Amino acid sequence: MTRITINGKEVEADPKKPLITACHEHAAQVPMYCYHPGLTPVGSCRICQVELQQGEIPPRIVVACRTPVAEGMVVNTETPQAHDARRQCLEFLLKNHPLDCPICDKAGECDLQDYSFSEGQAEGRSVEPRRKLEKRKNLGDVIVLDQERCILCSRCVRFFEDVTKKPQLTVSGLGSRSVISTFMDRPLTGNYQGNVADICPVGALTLSGFRFQARVWNLDKHLSTCGECSRGCSITVEVLRRKEVKRLRPHFNEEVNKWWMCDHGRFSYARLNAEDRLQGATLHQDGVPHPVDRETGIAAVVDMLRVHSGAYILISPWMTVEEGEQALAFCHALASPPRLLAPPTNDLKDDLLHTGEAAPNRRGLEGQGFQTQSRDDALSALAAAECAVLIGERITEILGVEALAELSNSIRLIIFDTHALQVSATNVCIGIPNAAERTGTWINVDGHAGRIAAAKPAPPGVASLTRSLEEIRAALAPVAGEVGS
Amino acid sequence: MTRESHPTYLLDRTRLHDSHTLDVHRKNDGYRALETILKEGHSPEQVIDLIKNSGLRGRGGAGFPTGLKWSFMPDANKDRRARYLVVNADESEPGTCKDRVLMEEDPHGLIEGILIGCYAMRIRAAYIYVRGEYRFAYDRVAAAIEEARRANLLGKNILGSTFSCEIWMHKGAGAYICGEETGLMESLEGKRGHPRPKPPFPAGFGLWGQPTTVNNVETLFNVPFILDRGAEWYQSMGTENSPGNILIAISGHVERPGVFEVPLGISAREVLEDCAGGVWKGRRLKAWIPGGSSTGFLPASEIGLAMDHESLKNARSMLGTGAMIILDETACTVRSMEILSRFYEHESCGQCSQCREGTQWLTQILHRIENGQGRMEDLDLLSSLASGMAPGKTICALADAAAIPTHSLVRHFRDELEEHVRRGCCPVPSSPGPAAAPPRSPSVEVKA
Ligand SMILES: Cc1cc2nc3c(=O)[nH]c(=O)nc-3n(C[C@H](O)[C@H](O)[C@H](O)COP(=O)(O)O)c2cc1C
Ligand code: SF4
Ligand code: FES
Repeated sequence: MTRITINGKEVEADPKKPLITACHEHAAQVPMYCYHPGLTPVGSCRICQVELQQGEIPPRIVVACRTPVAEGMVVNTETPQAHDARRQCLEFLLKNHPLDCPICDKAGECDLQDYSFSEGQAEGRSVEPRRKLEKRKNLGDVIVLDQERCILCSRCVRFFEDVTKKPQLTVSGLGSRSVISTFMDRPLTGNYQGNVADICPVGALTLSGFRFQARVWNLDKHLSTCGECSRGCSITVEVLRRKEVKRLRPHFNEEVNKWWMCDHGRFSYARLNAEDRLQGATLHQDGVPHPVDRETGIAAVVDMLRVHSGAYILISPWMTVEEGEQALAFCHALASPPRLLAPPTNDLKDDLLHTGEAAPNRRGLEGQGFQTQSRDDALSALAAAECAVLIGERITEILGVEALAELSNSIRLIIFDTHALQVSATNVCIGIPNAAERTGTWINVDGHAGRIAAAKPAPPGVASLTRSLEEIRAALAPVAGEVGS
Repeated sequence: MTRESHPTYLLDRTRLHDSHTLDVHRKNDGYRALETILKEGHSPEQVIDLIKNSGLRGRGGAGFPTGLKWSFMPDANKDRRARYLVVNADESEPGTCKDRVLMEEDPHGLIEGILIGCYAMRIRAAYIYVRGEYRFAYDRVAAAIEEARRANLLGKNILGSTFSCEIWMHKGAGAYICGEETGLMESLEGKRGHPRPKPPFPAGFGLWGQPTTVNNVETLFNVPFILDRGAEWYQSMGTENSPGNILIAISGHVERPGVFEVPLGISAREVLEDCAGGVWKGRRLKAWIPGGSSTGFLPASEIGLAMDHESLKNARSMLGTGAMIILDETACTVRSMEILSRFYEHESCGQCSQCREGTQWLTQILHRIENGQGRMEDLDLLSSLASGMAPGKTICALADAAAIPTHSLVRHFRDELEEHVRRGCCPVPSSPGPAAAPPRSPSVEVKA
């Protein structure tokens, strides 16, 4: 650690990090546009100017993001000179800005807007025409570029250079004719495009799927974990009117995903908003579902399990550790071995985040004692079973509805999932909350625990899986000779 | 065309027939300094000390002491990385055309300077970055390199010594910003010519991240003479802080435009009158630029200034590249500034907010004023914007280069600006009206 002085206060600063980090850690407000802690600093936007005094040299203005911390530095972020330098820089940045904040998706979380509000002049001094450029340029399917809003900070360019290591964007043109573009206008590719919309400090790069969907200040943000692969990236689940998930965004997590997430995870929220959810429960007769309330469904399950102790039980790798705990007790009560369905794999594995294992909690559940069983083994076991209980989000989807449809009608099939399974073998389906409707813990591929948050309410008549399993176990307890809770 | 009264050396050989050939060059003391160093075994440190003692200052614009710059290179025994000398022959500062004369007429003088510089800094490879339009100069230097190689003045074990050195050439593609030393290095590496923030400085992290020194053509051209004739001889010319002779390219409204060799510290009036034959057609001097467009306008009353670093700095200008531009009474300084400003707008690399937007904004304001749509408050706005751009607020000095002449216009030619606004048109009768380049953006209705 190095001792420096920031605004008259002596503080400790990390010499491996640029001065701007020390400023931020010690409550000195220094704005930044081109600087991003996850990217190579280029010091080009010049907004982070502060006054520096070092040794004998008279005070001078430097950019905090490209200035290494050195012993004895005296930094002042609030002198009139520093303020002037930043204000003037801001004025230049606004000179050609279209000021279309009312229709800009970034409004409310825009660094340019925020800093203009706190530091800018009320009146612009420019009477010149603003630059007219393309306002709606699709850079592929994910990202839309508004060239007029762009302040050419080059964060997006460096994202592909530094993070995915596959450069795709560049600044083309010189000086005031500079624009962000891809080589020969080719569309962006890859699984990480969405991140450039997050790191764009203004509204130049927006997600085509989020354009004009919501004002960001109307979104409730819940810290959670992505369930699309065993990396389990930290995310925020952003919900409009307690109802609809509008956006998933990465949340900084040093150990797991830093500032990033993949597009596959980012755009998985359609599933969280699915409309055709199972409410309460269904009882099936000859394949035809009859909606009933959850209590009736539970009673039917209890009746069935009274005569079928030792039923074949299989759980989903989307289950949380807390649900796994309850499922383990459930298996124990029925004297059945605890089994976990192996997560599906896909071809998205890369060197950055995606693991190719498309479920979040295999490691956690295996650690609790569940034996992982492949899909093929599970289907053969089902074909031979008299009674089976399939538990957890997406379990019927992974086993495959077609495969389940081939099971003989003689099996007693009990399902806990977000959707009813409409095959002839089904007897009872109990609805459960999805990943945006419950709390709990997933353990990722490296053993890091990620919490998931209930960002919106479950459909009517749906209770937590833990509660349903516990109720069944309690009802079975006297008969099975086990001690219930 | 040099005045008899001043001793000269830079251009002496260029007046000989076939001055560009090795034959003529060697018959006129060429490569003598290099031979002496190699034969008598001067140490690199001795060479650097001599250059330091001579007081030679860079001729690329900033006037940085050359010996000091060379001594910044890390100790070759401790830092075993490859190291480079980069020769800045991009010469694009408006008004400047002195390096061209040297490269075309005496390319071996440059090569000898490069070799001595490399010897002094223990460098084995030098790059010459030549302005793309300088095809003839490029060919002359390329041919001279071949000649020198055949004569064992270049390559392995030069003149039988242990010193080996190669010189490579590179053509620019027409960007002013590639003359800025770090933009130049990016360009040499095959990237866009975006200047790099400093620190790190080229001596520690230069071309391909290796220790590098960047020097101007004329700077290196001085070196063999200093080695040959000594520091004392060098200091007998010029002033105490700006010793030696300098090449001044004088252009604009003069009788005899051209490149002249004069001692530093000579008065600008002497250059204008004795070298260039005075203002064109006997007209009155209105304004002059002392050292390339970036050094700004000075009024006629200051034509007595001495052409050296200190005197021009005191006049809030710079010696720059020593390229004088003369404007007579028929010129409009506002229009001239608009043209310069448009040049800087066009050439800004666009990284820094103040430079990218500021150069455009200045151009738009000047365009309005010149075309009768100026407002009185625009005058202060010009200075205020220029103060937001420089000094030292951007990655490189291009923003300064646009700000300095803007300040000078408002400082020295405020009357003329005000008259533009008052009259609602350009008051200079023979001014050809709006600048030749079309306005980039349509003019707007302006509050009066
Ligand atoms: C925008 C800009 C353009 C420049 N163009 C040139 C140039 O064309 N030739 C040159 O020698 N120096 C140029 N320079 C100066 C170089 O950056 C550098 O200072 C010089 O080459 C150093 O050489 P010297 O120490 O021998 O003077 C330019 C500087 C700036 C900021
Ligand atoms: S000052 Fe201008 S030319 Fe220099 S790096 Fe910044 S934007 Fe580019
Ligand atoms: S944030 Fe420091 S220069 Fe851009």
